[in-house]
Amino acid sequence: MALLVLIISPLIAALASLAVRKRIFWLETIAAVAASVEVMAAVTTSVTVYRQGEATFGSFLATGPLEIIVLMTVAVIGLAASFYSIGYLREEVRKQIIGFSRVRQYYVLMHLFLLAMFFAVNTTSPIMMWIAIEATTLSTAFLISFYGKAASMEAAWKYLIINSIGLLLGFFGTLLFLAPETSGGIDRFIDWRMLVESTPYMDPSLIKVAFIFVLIGYGTKAGLVPMHTWLPDAHSKAPSPISALLSGSLLNVALLAIVKFRIIADAALLSPFTRNAMIFFGLISIAIPAFIIIAQNNYKRLFAYSSIEHMGIITLGFGFGGLATFGALLHMIYHSLAKSTLFFCAGNTFLKYSSTKMLKVKGVLSSLPVTGIILVIAFLAITGVPPFGIFISEFYIFSAGSENFLPVVIGALFLLLLVFAGFLKHVVGMSLGEDAEPVAAGELNLLTVVPPVSLVVLLTIAGFYLPGPIRELIDSAATLINR
Amino acid sequence: MLHLSDQTQLILAALVYTPVVIMHLTKRNRAAVSLYILQSSAIALLLISSLFDKFSLLLLLAISATVAVKIFVAPYFFNNLTRRHRLRFSVSTYLNTPLSLLVIAALFSLSQSSFLAALVFMPESSDRLLRLAFASMLTSLFLCINRKGALSQMLGILSLENSIVAFALFAGLEQSPGLQLGITFNILIWVIIATVFASMIFRKFGSLDVTAMKRLKG
Repeated sequence: MALLVLIISPLIAALASLAVRKRIFWLETIAAVAASVEVMAAVTTSVTVYRQGEATFGSFLATGPLEIIVLMTVAVIGLAASFYSIGYLREEVRKQIIGFSRVRQYYVLMHLFLLAMFFAVNTTSPIMMWIAIEATTLSTAFLISFYGKAASMEAAWKYLIINSIGLLLGFFGTLLFLAPETSGGIDRFIDWRMLVESTPYMDPSLIKVAFIFVLIGYGTKAGLVPMHTWLPDAHSKAPSPISALLSGSLLNVALLAIVKFRIIADAALLSPFTRNAMIFFGLISIAIPAFIIIAQNNYKRLFAYSSIEHMGIITLGFGFGGLATFGALLHMIYHSLAKSTLFFCAGNTFLKYSSTKMLKVKGVLSSLPVTGIILVIAFLAITGVPPFGIFISEFYIFSAGSENFLPVVIGALFLLLLVFAGFLKHVVGMSLGEDAEPVAAGELNLLTVVPPVSLVVLLTIAGFYLPGPIRELIDSAATLINR
Repeated sequence: MLHLSDQTQLILAALVYTPVVIMHLTKRNRAAVSLYILQSSAIALLLISSLFDKFSLLLLLAISATVAVKIFVAPYFFNNLTRRHRLRFSVSTYLNTPLSLLVIAALFSLSQSSFLAALVFMPESSDRLLRLAFASMLTSLFLCINRKGALSQMLGILSLENSIVAFALFAGLEQSPGLQLGITFNILIWVIIATVFASMIFRKFGSLDVTAMKRLKG
């Protein structure tokens, strides 16, 4: 039942928001209530999965240990983004950047975006998952072009075209995976379970081609290099709460699709083909952003490139297998929390300085005292400084990888050092120093501070203490992938 | 499974492939849209032929929706776009015509090579059809990359989708009618959103030439 609530809640919220006339207050209330309901439904689902191994609704919705990890990140980041949106949009309305109709459009699309993500994670059909992930592209395209400026239009167009092409290739790969089940035509839904059962009948050569198409297709959505070109533009031009959702949730959903197909491909191939492909894409996805991060001059693009780098680390972890899979799943969670926090900080900084250029942003620690501190903590967390969780997850990934792939691990660690140096230079520049044009000190409003503070507290606690049930769920998911 | 003669299937496969090649050559937007209609008609015939194999009302509905979206709705939106903004001619390509033709020939050769033997998993009779559908996929992808016009990119994507559907039909990978409806609905929404975007881009940049969009770098 909780699974159904996860689908119905954002749908009702979108329709209700569409029906609101004049008062922004109702849009905010709907967003807050819907996001809270969704988190409660996600927690309830987690408890069911923990106790029974799976939560289902009919034969169309099902969630296991692997899906629940992504589901929880979507729900938690969705809650934080919904509350942050209230504070963020209030500020934009106050500055007369947007009006009521824009605010309503924003909330309707945000609910539809969440709906598409929840559905993609929970559906039992690979084709429905593809449809849902394509729906995330359609619902977010207008959010990326939200401000209607030339640059945001450009970013949205790029996003729409590149992701549509990528996802069509992913669709082709999906169809090839379904070949043993569908040859001769079918009149029923094929679910993931049927696919797993049909692996003995799959043609290994065909599955290799299919997996490459899936990896390229969903890898485009996950921002893997070289299909990443849309990501820095889209994530930097979208309103900050949407950037947080794109980086913190959507990338995980796309990776989930890759991992689910990987499980099937591994069972069919019984060879290291998928492992090698993932290690290759993972490593180049760390390498390219590492060099761009150093030379970056826009903080939202900096965070976007960092997302690509972290998708690379996670993909590398899945590629290494074994304990690294556990690390990769853990990394998904920590990255979601840390990156969303950074995008919320970026939002506050943008509202204060009206610029995303790092040269124009100095002394954030004094102009935005709370945001400044969170920015520094989130920077330390995202770059893997101990004792934050990302240090632990990277430790799992690289220590497991060093057993069989030492040169890859050494290369990746060197690149992470570059990322740290680049980040350090930029964050120090933004946090300290004096402004050429001083801005009034003080936070914007409570709702722009509470969500990032909550996330950073959660991130810090999760670095020190991971509750037993969560650890067990991650462990079960890792076992499922490594099987 | 399709119950059409091998020759009819080959003609339909050629009708999926040939329009994409001509789309690369045509300068008029209207002509490109007409070629897309021709390609979609071939897909429609393939879909309708599958009705004879297993008739159901839901399948009829799914096929009707697909035909309506591909042959009527999408072209209507595109023609409307060209009429409203007086876009009679499409913008140029990154590669000139001879080079484009060379690339198309190379892609066709690739699709016929043993390199892609894994994709031809059906009986030998489907070999040529699957290879032609795959050639159409590659050529559509090249259309998206090579053309500078937003409308051409949109047509390239829809042509890629048509080619994948053709591949699936020739390989007997049809989906259930419910899923087909979902996919068609997705395409419909995509067409509407892409057309709205193209219109917004024209208003913002005064052109549908995507090379005019160069604000985002780094």
